[in-house]
Amino acid sequence: MKKALAILLTLALLLGTTGTVLADDDWITLRVETYDREITGLDVTNCWQLHYAQENFGDPNHIKLEFVSFARWTEGDLLTNALAGGTAPDICLTYNGGLVQQCIDDEGIWQLDDLLNEYGPNLKAFLGDELLGYGQSDHDGDGVKEQWYIPARRISRANVGNFIREDWLKALNMEKPTDIESFTEYLRAAKEAQLAGENTMPFSFGIYAPDPLYNVRRFTDAWVDFSQVTEEDWFAYARNPEMLPGAKEGFRWLNTLYHEGLLPETFALSDNDKANDTALIMGYNGFFSQQPDQPWRTDKNYQVELAKNVEGGHWVTVNPFKNDSLGGKTLHDMYAPAGLSIIIPLTTDEKTAIAAIKYMDWMAIQDNMFMMQNGLEGINYEGLTADGIPYGVKSADAVPDENKMHAGDICFISNGLCYGDDAKNAAALALPFAGYEDDVVASYADSLTDAWTQISFTVSIQAETDFGANVKSRQGKFLADVVSCDPAEFDAVYDAGIQDILNSGAAQMIEGFREAYQAGNYRGVFPGNL
Amino acid sequence: MSTKSINAKATGGRSWLQDWRLYVMLILPLAFYAIFCYKPMVGVIVGFEKFNMFKGMWASPWIGIKNFKDTMSMPDFRPALVNTLWLNLMGLIAGFPVPIILAIMLNEMRSIKTKKLCQTLLYLPHFLSWIIIGGMVLQIFSPSSGIINATLLKWRWIGKSIPFLTDGPHWQFTYTLVGVWQGMGWGTILYLSAITGINMELFEAAKIDGANKLQQIWHVTLPGIRSTIVVLLILSVGQMMNISFDRPQILGNPQVLDYCDVLSTFVYRTGITNSQFARATAIGLFQSVVGLILITGANFVSKKLGEEGIW
Repeated sequence: MKKALAILLTLALLLGTTGTVLADDDWITLRVETYDREITGLDVTNCWQLHYAQENFGDPNHIKLEFVSFARWTEGDLLTNALAGGTAPDICLTYNGGLVQQCIDDEGIWQLDDLLNEYGPNLKAFLGDELLGYGQSDHDGDGVKEQWYIPARRISRANVGNFIREDWLKALNMEKPTDIESFTEYLRAAKEAQLAGENTMPFSFGIYAPDPLYNVRRFTDAWVDFSQVTEEDWFAYARNPEMLPGAKEGFRWLNTLYHEGLLPETFALSDNDKANDTALIMGYNGFFSQQPDQPWRTDKNYQVELAKNVEGGHWVTVNPFKNDSLGGKTLHDMYAPAGLSIIIPLTTDEKTAIAAIKYMDWMAIQDNMFMMQNGLEGINYEGLTADGIPYGVKSADAVPDENKMHAGDICFISNGLCYGDDAKNAAALALPFAGYEDDVVASYADSLTDAWTQISFTVSIQAETDFGANVKSRQGKFLADVVSCDPAEFDAVYDAGIQDILNSGAAQMIEGFREAYQAGNYRGVFPGNL
Repeated sequence: MSTKSINAKATGGRSWLQDWRLYVMLILPLAFYAIFCYKPMVGVIVGFEKFNMFKGMWASPWIGIKNFKDTMSMPDFRPALVNTLWLNLMGLIAGFPVPIILAIMLNEMRSIKTKKLCQTLLYLPHFLSWIIIGGMVLQIFSPSSGIINATLLKWRWIGKSIPFLTDGPHWQFTYTLVGVWQGMGWGTILYLSAITGINMELFEAAKIDGANKLQQIWHVTLPGIRSTIVVLLILSVGQMMNISFDRPQILGNPQVLDYCDVLSTFVYRTGITNSQFARATAIGLFQSVVGLILITGANFVSKKLGEEGIW
């Protein structure tokens, strides 16, 4: 009798865990793409966030959630293969805008208007109309834009971080530079004083090969003469900041720095970012420009490592790149409000597509999002501030494996931690960097000063598909040439470089962007309107 | 060879019955070629299509040679093609004789232990990934901070650092040199085995006739491995249009773009990163066709000159 009871109980237990899925045929499986950053101990296909979502969303709705792992840094290639092979998950995420555009052109994904209207009220409210607009385009040419993808909401849009050594300023008895002249003086003085011995390299500089001018225009835009630039030009030269009137003088400034030994001779060699990292933490550099929270990010630990190597070593934000034609505005480019793109492939049936929207709709409810992004009090973080923001957030290795999580990748509708309103979100940005809160807040403030939203187009520009990558590679050569050439030959080298870029397809791209602007198929901000 | 013909004679047409085990063993390599070499060849039709990844290669619309025309008319195509041929030609001229010389030198070594040690050291670079080699190249050839330039500058042998990596022709020299260093040890394997196959009696006869070491090498060793040299040369010529992706991508840098951009990096940039698979396929097919022409031509010339050829 006892034995029979035991068997019965075991059976009931078994049914309770797996049996329900098998027994009820109204259950469906929803496969969700999940980025894998290879965080030790975190199995993204069997993580705390999956179990939480399964329990609170999946089980009540008879949806079996399945996370499909995609390596973060090759996601675009992997997803392309999965889409082409018909094996893509039901919810696909990508940062590859070209791939999304191709999916629209090839008509391989769900048009989402009806699904969103019927099943996604919370999701729509969370994203807002302006942001949703980024995912809309008129594919069939009937004059009405359709919703093709769901753009994730980017919480922090700041992109530019310029940092200077406060301890060097003190050693040189200088004030923090407020314009390009005083900034250049600082670089020269640091070199002259050999503040880091013979390794002193005031300006940390390298070429970002995939898009060489992306990080350089934050300097050269200061020289652009906006009295000669119309809004149309601004969008036409979207990918060619080197051709804007006046930008030439910015490149000449870099050339001067190079020849004065203020930036590294090896800046154009491909492996230099590792050398640059080392120079930054060894304290050889007096200035660098990356993301607004870069010095404190735990992946490279510039600030912490610098303080270990150099007593009093301290990175602080600096904002010297004033544009005179805009009355001294310090331009900073800023991300569009749209983060990664979410698509549902046509290989997903309607029932599952509805489940996909419902899942994102559930995620968009603030309480659910809080749990999916922050985990459990006492395990993932110590406690809550008066504003309800977690403090004492634990690093991944301080959390037990079964509770390890990745906020952004799995709660993918929000790029960044979201606590309901902008003020809270801004305050939360500095909280993870205990001891440097004021520095972080100041850096974000500088980054958002005179910030213009990066340019994007809502139609695919054929010339960009054809020549975009080639133009970027020519821009890399251009940058290497104009920075390192003999100052006496600068004008000739600059002109030849511009011609070379135009010949490599930029001329067609500029024409294409101009047409897109005239047709109203653009997004972004013209700094002249700030 | 001889045993096989005897067998064939003895059993007549039923030899395959007797050797069935050998044929079974042959299934694996044949399957390998069928699955991994012949089946994917069907995919070349993508090169003639306006490829739609959701429709697949059977349903995408046919557009003839438009992909070929579009890609080859790109301004970067011609320099990439020229660089590919030029770098391969330099690699062939500088790199082809080195393994032969090395193999002969290794073969002449008296001490087996030293010979084995040398072989192992020579093979080693072949197993290093290009990422690692790229790091080493930077350490060695970098302007001012690289070992060579730093030393020469310190000794005041040069007044300005030598632009091994930042000037086009210098870069091509460095690229070739590093390639020869990386591949020379591995290249000796086939030659060494060919040398082992030479009848020892020939060396003894030469010695008795009064030939010294150099004369033995010239009149016995080299003629003995001539057919191996010819076969490998024909195969190398067939590879003239193909260039690996990692080596130029890793050793190259924006400053020498006009000298380091080759077909593989061009295809990666214009085809793969932009998801233009049809164009990437078109260039791949173009490379293969030219490769086929080159290898057939080399084989033809070699046969005309009285050599064996590869078929």
